[in-house]
Amino acid sequence: MSVGLSLAHEPVTRIPHGKLLMWIFLASELMFFSGFFGAFIVLRNTNYDVFGQGSAHLSWPLALLNTFILIASSLTMALSIYHLEHNNRGLFRLFLGLTLCGGFGFLTVKWFEYSAKFYDGLFPGQEHHTIFFSFYFLMTGFHALHVIAGMIPMGFMWMRSFSKKGYPFPRKVETLGLYWHFVDLMWIFIFPALYLMIPYHAAIPHH
Amino acid sequence: MSTDHANVIPSYMRVFYTLCVLTVLTVVAAKALEFPHTWGMIGDILHVTIGVVIAIIKVMCVMYIFMHLKFDNHLIRIAVYVPVFLFSVFVFALNFLETWHYTY
Repeated sequence: MSVGLSLAHEPVTRIPHGKLLMWIFLASELMFFSGFFGAFIVLRNTNYDVFGQGSAHLSWPLALLNTFILIASSLTMALSIYHLEHNNRGLFRLFLGLTLCGGFGFLTVKWFEYSAKFYDGLFPGQEHHTIFFSFYFLMTGFHALHVIAGMIPMGFMWMRSFSKKGYPFPRKVETLGLYWHFVDLMWIFIFPALYLMIPYHAAIPHH
Repeated sequence: MSTDHANVIPSYMRVFYTLCVLTVLTVVAAKALEFPHTWGMIGDILHVTIGVVIAIIKVMCVMYIFMHLKFDNHLIRIAVYVPVFLFSVFVFALNFLETWHYTY
């Protein structure tokens, strides 16, 4: 007896295609950030003083504020998916809007943080620039780009939620939610690595 | 996703509060925790280890509840937990070996 070949587009894993693709994309993103972290650890442990002085120059209270903003936006993202699945359009719109505000809030704080660095004459790619600030601008810059990349489809979904039909694709919102939580996860590692873990015996000048 | 059958909002709120507490704990551990200078680089290794362990607990909370791994297919769970475990081992091992190499 021959078995017919089925060409139906059914997910053999019973995981929706979009969601599976997002997980694969996030795995590649994890590898991307792992490279940064690996290089950061190696260079930090060979340049204690440079990394200590650089880290002491950063504003950890602003980064802490950004951490709380991202955690809160992760919560509102999860709540928006829950309410869309339960057909509570108003609450979906509210929580997705709050998540969008969280993204804007994060970028605004980042803007103030970068402005302070630029005011102090610290720019990416300068010759006298220390290796620490190269990492700082690279890691936080890429992270901020990820935030912007998440906010674009989120803004589109939020705008469409005002239409008569509302936003009728909960799976797409869930897939975007995975991405948004991943952005939060990366910040959970970046925050202590750059702002808090000042090398213990680094020579830091007191101003 | 299969959150339809359960009210997950209390779980979301618990994870949110846990993340806030752990974030404060990360700052307190980094700013207030002092090890004796006689411990040398062990103090730095401990500082980093505490920070990374707290970060991994936070990551697991977000993935398990916010990213719905709790409700998801076991294939996804395995495919996510294995790389996160390897990433953690990578961070720990690299930090420990590098510190050890340049200190002793």
